[in-house]
Amino acid sequence: MMDRRKFIRNSVLVSGGLLMTPKIFGQSSLLLDEVKPKNKLTILHTNDTHSNIDPFPDNHAKYAGKGGVARRFEMIQKIRIEEENVLLLDAGDIFQGTPYFNKFGGVLEMKLMTELGYDVATMGNHDFDGGMEGFVKAQEYADFPFVCANYDFQNTPINGHTVGHTILKRGNIKVGIFGVGVELKGLVPDNKFGETVYSDPIEIATDKAAELQKKGCDLIICLSHLGYEYESDKISDRVLAQKTKGIHLIIGGHTHTFLDKPTEEKNLDGETVLINQVGWAGVQLGRIDFEFDKKVFSRKDVLIVE
Amino acid sequence: MLKHLILIAVGAGLLACSSVTSITAHSDNKAVLDQGADSNSADSLISPYRVELEKEMLEVIAVAEKDFVKGRPVGALNNWAADAVLASQTRGVNLEIPAFSLLNVGGLRNTINAGDVKLEDIFKVMPFDNEVVWAEMPVEALDDIASYLIESGGEPIGGAILKDGKLQVDGMDSKTERVWIMTSDYLLNGGDHMDFFQKRLSTKHTNLLLRDLMIEEVKQQGTLLWNDENRIFL
Repeated sequence: MMDRRKFIRNSVLVSGGLLMTPKIFGQSSLLLDEVKPKNKLTILHTNDTHSNIDPFPDNHAKYAGKGGVARRFEMIQKIRIEEENVLLLDAGDIFQGTPYFNKFGGVLEMKLMTELGYDVATMGNHDFDGGMEGFVKAQEYADFPFVCANYDFQNTPINGHTVGHTILKRGNIKVGIFGVGVELKGLVPDNKFGETVYSDPIEIATDKAAELQKKGCDLIICLSHLGYEYESDKISDRVLAQKTKGIHLIIGGHTHTFLDKPTEEKNLDGETVLINQVGWAGVQLGRIDFEFDKKVFSRKDVLIVE
Repeated sequence: MLKHLILIAVGAGLLACSSVTSITAHSDNKAVLDQGADSNSADSLISPYRVELEKEMLEVIAVAEKDFVKGRPVGALNNWAADAVLASQTRGVNLEIPAFSLLNVGGLRNTINAGDVKLEDIFKVMPFDNEVVWAEMPVEALDDIASYLIESGGEPIGGAILKDGKLQVDGMDSKTERVWIMTSDYLLNGGDHMDFFQKRLSTKHTNLLLRDLMIEEVKQQGTLLWNDENRIFL
């Protein structure tokens, strides 16, 4: 099998650098043979829900009548009826923000995410707010994995309660999902993250993407609680997208950024990476539909599809 | 609905033909709004928790004899909040250097009205999850703080007074080199542009939420301690 990167570089040469320009050729002119039928995957996601169980009150200055877990569930259920392959993800900061957390320690949040059918989540800095024991206690009620690739919990109570990545199959599509979290020092009181060892998200993400690629994932998703962007050179989702390769989608959090549409960045290979984030408090539900088309092209026609 | 061309991934390549996977993405972020549907299983899960929470939030934890309102240069709520922080943090503690408390008017989000004080009232005054922190400051920084207070028109302080352009901290004398400021992590980290905190010599975390501190003090006082003395003489 030809090295994947090399092949793309070669094709860029053949196509005269037009690789990423949409609609160069009509799709039909390229199509020689359809190997597989079209595959569709719907990604639904939230971030920074911050214990917002109930909708905002109708007199709320900014988000009147918006949000609410039960309403989110209705939206998700509707989409699940319409779409065959759905993944529901969360990018962290599930805890802290309403008395529900102060009173019940995050148990209700976990129970609800399980009820809504979340597939994967990552940890945000506020998910340490109940201490590490507090997280573990609440997490007992979650029947979905937490992916945290750049936190080493080995010498902490969280050890064994998270994984670096997970691979899920929906239809014919193999999806690899890993998580990266923000540096906790200075953000979270020391005794709440204890001996958690933080590693450089770029290095970890590079390794994880390569590992998941090797394992044959069709789509590689990074659940990130790094934050969308900063004025300083602090690591953010935009920086992560630019400085890695192999990641297709970064679902972000932490900065409570409302994106109307996903941001497109170019990674180290010049390939497009999407970044999406939907503010906070469950005010929005993020949605991205991916369509996978496996086709056989004649080499000289190069690889331009719509 | 938005459409992105995202990437072209390449599988096995033969000389003449190649298997190619194209991935196209469409995005559609949507506001979560009332869907008009009947309640679902999430509602039934939430309901008992909501009932329990509301019961607790409506619990009367103290009484206020007057309205506690924030203001500038001072207000009864300013003094109450700053005094609550100082009292809670210095109670039973032997401090080697003088200490005072400093909060921000903007951080007090509601009034405490005369009458029964419910738990929910304190959540409304302090909805943020700010941590109480101690900052050890060089005494020279007091001049920066005085200028800040003069410019802002006043912030809640306890255990100190601003007069003639100088900030005088209780227990301070000519030999004082350092003071503790009890404040919130929000302000310590530059919130409300209190940049003078960057001059701090050390920081002490308490892992105590400002709101929890207030709740404790409210319960302990029973009847909220009223004090509307002026501490900021502009």
